[in-house]
Amino acid sequence: MNATALSSPTSLSDPTPGSRPAQAPGPLLEVENLSVEFDTRKGVARVLESVSFALNRGQTLGLVGESGCGKSMTALAIMRLIPNPPGRITAGQVRFEGTDLLSLSDPAMREIRGNRVSMIFQEPMTSLNPVYTVGEQIAEAVRLHQRLDRRAAHARAIEMLEQVGIPAARTRVDEYPHQFSGGMRQRVMIAMALACNPGVLIADEPTTALDVTVQAQIFDLISDLRSRTGTAVVLITHDMGAIAEMTDRVAVMYAGRIVEEGTVAEVLEHPLHPYTQGLIACAPGRRTAAHGEPLEEIPGTVPSLLERRGGCAFADRCRHVLPRCRLDLPAETQFDGGQRRVLCWLHAEGGS
Amino acid sequence: MSPSSAPSNTASGATAPAEPSSSRPGADAGAPAPMVIEVLSPSREAWSVFRKNKAAMLGLVMLAGVILAMVFGPTLYPVAPFDISGAPFTEPFVNPALPLGSDYLGRDILAGMAVGGRATLLVGLTAAAITVSIGLTVGALAGYFGGWVDEALSRLTEVFQVMPSLLFAMVLMTLFDPSLTTAIIAIGMVTWTGTARLARAEFMRLRKLEYVNAARALGAGSVRLMLREILPNAAPPLIVSATLIIGVAILFEAGLSFLGLSDPNVMSWGLMIGANRKYVLDAWWAVTFPGLAIFATVLAVSLVGDGLNDALNPKMHLR
Amino acid sequence: MSMIKLLAKRLAYALGLILAVLSINFALIHAAPGDPAMVIAGEMGGADQTTLDQIRKTYGLDRPLTDQYITYITRAAQGDLGQSYLYNQPVTDLILQRLPATVLLVLSALLTAIAVGTMVGVWASRRPHSVGSGAVTVLSLVGYSMPTFWTGILLVILFGKIIPIMPIAGMRDVRIYGGWWVTSLDVLHHLILPAFTLAIVYMAQYSRLSRASMLEVLSSDYIRTARAKGLAERLVIWKHALRNALMPVVTIAGLQFGNLVSGAVLVETVFSWPGLGTLAFDSILGRDYPTLLGVLFFSSVLVIVANQVTDLTYRWIDPRLRSR
Repeated sequence: MNATALSSPTSLSDPTPGSRPAQAPGPLLEVENLSVEFDTRKGVARVLESVSFALNRGQTLGLVGESGCGKSMTALAIMRLIPNPPGRITAGQVRFEGTDLLSLSDPAMREIRGNRVSMIFQEPMTSLNPVYTVGEQIAEAVRLHQRLDRRAAHARAIEMLEQVGIPAARTRVDEYPHQFSGGMRQRVMIAMALACNPGVLIADEPTTALDVTVQAQIFDLISDLRSRTGTAVVLITHDMGAIAEMTDRVAVMYAGRIVEEGTVAEVLEHPLHPYTQGLIACAPGRRTAAHGEPLEEIPGTVPSLLERRGGCAFADRCRHVLPRCRLDLPAETQFDGGQRRVLCWLHAEGGS
Repeated sequence: MSPSSAPSNTASGATAPAEPSSSRPGADAGAPAPMVIEVLSPSREAWSVFRKNKAAMLGLVMLAGVILAMVFGPTLYPVAPFDISGAPFTEPFVNPALPLGSDYLGRDILAGMAVGGRATLLVGLTAAAITVSIGLTVGALAGYFGGWVDEALSRLTEVFQVMPSLLFAMVLMTLFDPSLTTAIIAIGMVTWTGTARLARAEFMRLRKLEYVNAARALGAGSVRLMLREILPNAAPPLIVSATLIIGVAILFEAGLSFLGLSDPNVMSWGLMIGANRKYVLDAWWAVTFPGLAIFATVLAVSLVGDGLNDALNPKMHLR
Repeated sequence: MSMIKLLAKRLAYALGLILAVLSINFALIHAAPGDPAMVIAGEMGGADQTTLDQIRKTYGLDRPLTDQYITYITRAAQGDLGQSYLYNQPVTDLILQRLPATVLLVLSALLTAIAVGTMVGVWASRRPHSVGSGAVTVLSLVGYSMPTFWTGILLVILFGKIIPIMPIAGMRDVRIYGGWWVTSLDVLHHLILPAFTLAIVYMAQYSRLSRASMLEVLSSDYIRTARAKGLAERLVIWKHALRNALMPVVTIAGLQFGNLVSGAVLVETVFSWPGLGTLAFDSILGRDYPTLLGVLFFSSVLVIVANQVTDLTYRWIDPRLRSR
């Protein structure tokens, strides 16, 4: 698998020969009943409860919800980056191309990380090591996973920088992160994440820390790269506009659970869960709020993850709450053969 | 609906319990148990953090012990340290008249230790006071005014910082007459650069904050600003630094008297060690015990300083 | 700014500092009570009237202060720091003879302290709440509080009486002679105890500092990125984290060179190490003021050089500082 100096430049869509195994049938990434706990000074917090979803090749899944609902935690759990004290994965499977990532040994998981499944984070300003050049940081990943030598890796780094739209890539590859702006640094992060042609890219709030104009550029970039390489994307965000534009399917999370999932069109046009309805109504610019009128809001705050009372976690804030909601956790209702799900008594068969 | 009630910060010494959030009976989901939060003034709060730090409290106790021993020691054990009290090279714990033994001249080690602490502490504290005074003034002026004042003072600081402190002090003690006063001044003059640097950084940082501009807009003059607005906020790291400087000054005094450069008529622990240096292989006790005393005192001061650091400059561990 | 311009600027700055130190030396000679001629001659009794008159003429002590100052500086620029009447040699020669020993001592202590301190600190940071980490904190507080000369004396007792496996005095064993290799080993053998004694205080400080620094670095975002790339933990720590965590240690170490030289005076005295420290001590005993002041001056120059080197090192470690 040694690839020395390449005579013809490899484009993004050509993986290094031999590095990708034969494609297994079924979804590319399948998360099943993932549960995560954290030890805190005040007790054990259950940050994820039975989270399940699937991602197919080339698909983009949006993961949306308020701060603290567990979206980032899901991403970290998939990558097995949850700090082991104090956190731990207590249940579930994360199947990537058929293999359960949670059961892999550490070295095997490291082969996957950054290589077959990549992640980019929210704060580009601090996510790059200040003492190494951006080229070195990109090349490091390539050298590690694709066993390229220094020259080839360096060339690949330049190529990736060009792909993500950094001008004068040949010069800038030897510059340090502090010489790049926030938006540029995020591009570098994307370049680093995609350098090994991963099957899945997890983007955890990639634009939240950036200016509005730059946000649009980054989303465009991700879209563009995605369509060129066919990488599946998990987009974590609280920006409903981004969801509408970029994703195929969307899963709504609340207090560590997925409360609704479906295609983007269905969920946005016909939201079933009251929380989803609230989220959509909150987004400025929607038809529900006329110009000049106060924005809608969902009253209350997310409950503590430390004490889980019985029943639905959203019950205290739900405008359609039923007595049953405070007592029993809703069963998951599925439509369309599992393509559409909701966790709510209002939609349960036989629910009142 | 479970609103979280945040108590307002009372800057004065009052303790104000916050209103507990209303508790609802029954199977109501989501209402957190009522919390009573006590809000203390900054100094009371710092003390409560300090109190919980076992190492710091140990240091405080040790320090108290040392101070008590220094104050009452010579009265309780009224043997003159420079007198020949018995046979030279008496081992410790053997002769009840010489509990810790005697040195090469036959002087009582315990007496030396009882009296020696006074010089150590006197010089240590006073020198530290001088160090902090000079350092704080220079640093504050440099940090606050900036510009050429800063340039000039910073260069001055650097010139003093470049000269190794002990050597400089040795020169001063040699050229001027070797008394305790000279020692105090010498130590003060050679150790102030660290404090100056710290004070400068703090004042520079704080000068730029909003509330300083607000006070200036209200017509406060520079001196008033420095003293009333900035200094109280710069105090925590400076207090910690001052405490540690006391330890440094004590070690410095010990070094100077070890080398025989301090007042030869004043008994100090360093002097004892220095005087018996040639005889260490024959009379280990004559150097070990005084050294232990110095070590214990400096350790106590360091522990307290560390505890103060944790109490006054809390680091938030977020992740 | 190009490297040459940078170096030139630093050199000019250093020379300015040296001039300032010389000026202070000059001020001290004349501010001290008594006759400056006596100060220059030293008070060991070898200064009779003729010598004193000669000194007065040579140093122009009857001339106005400014003239004297200029003479003093000019002489120093030519390497003339005066004459030691105690040793009957030019001060500069005396100092240059002893300088290497002190430099050797100080550098070995500094490097040992940085190396050991960092290793211990990194080790402790990997297990933040363990017994080992607590032990490191305790030991470093203890090491910090021990008076250097006392530690040295304890080691002298230990290796002088109890386990005599290492020499406790001097730099060379006169009975051993041979080629360069044998001599060096002998010096090294004698260097161990003094260097270790000097290093203790700083090992204590650096281990605490590097542990704290490492803990902070390990919780930063770019370390998370490094892990997310699939790097082995070993690489994450030693390649990505360490270089960032080392920066505060380098800064502090650079600032402490002066303290190290001060500490060297005490250590040299205890172990009879033939360096500038013992020279200073002996010159005090012999009232040889020119030599004493010469030592002060030279050690200041050492510190100035060390500061410049630290600054350059710092720029090399942290690329963010390079564009200045």
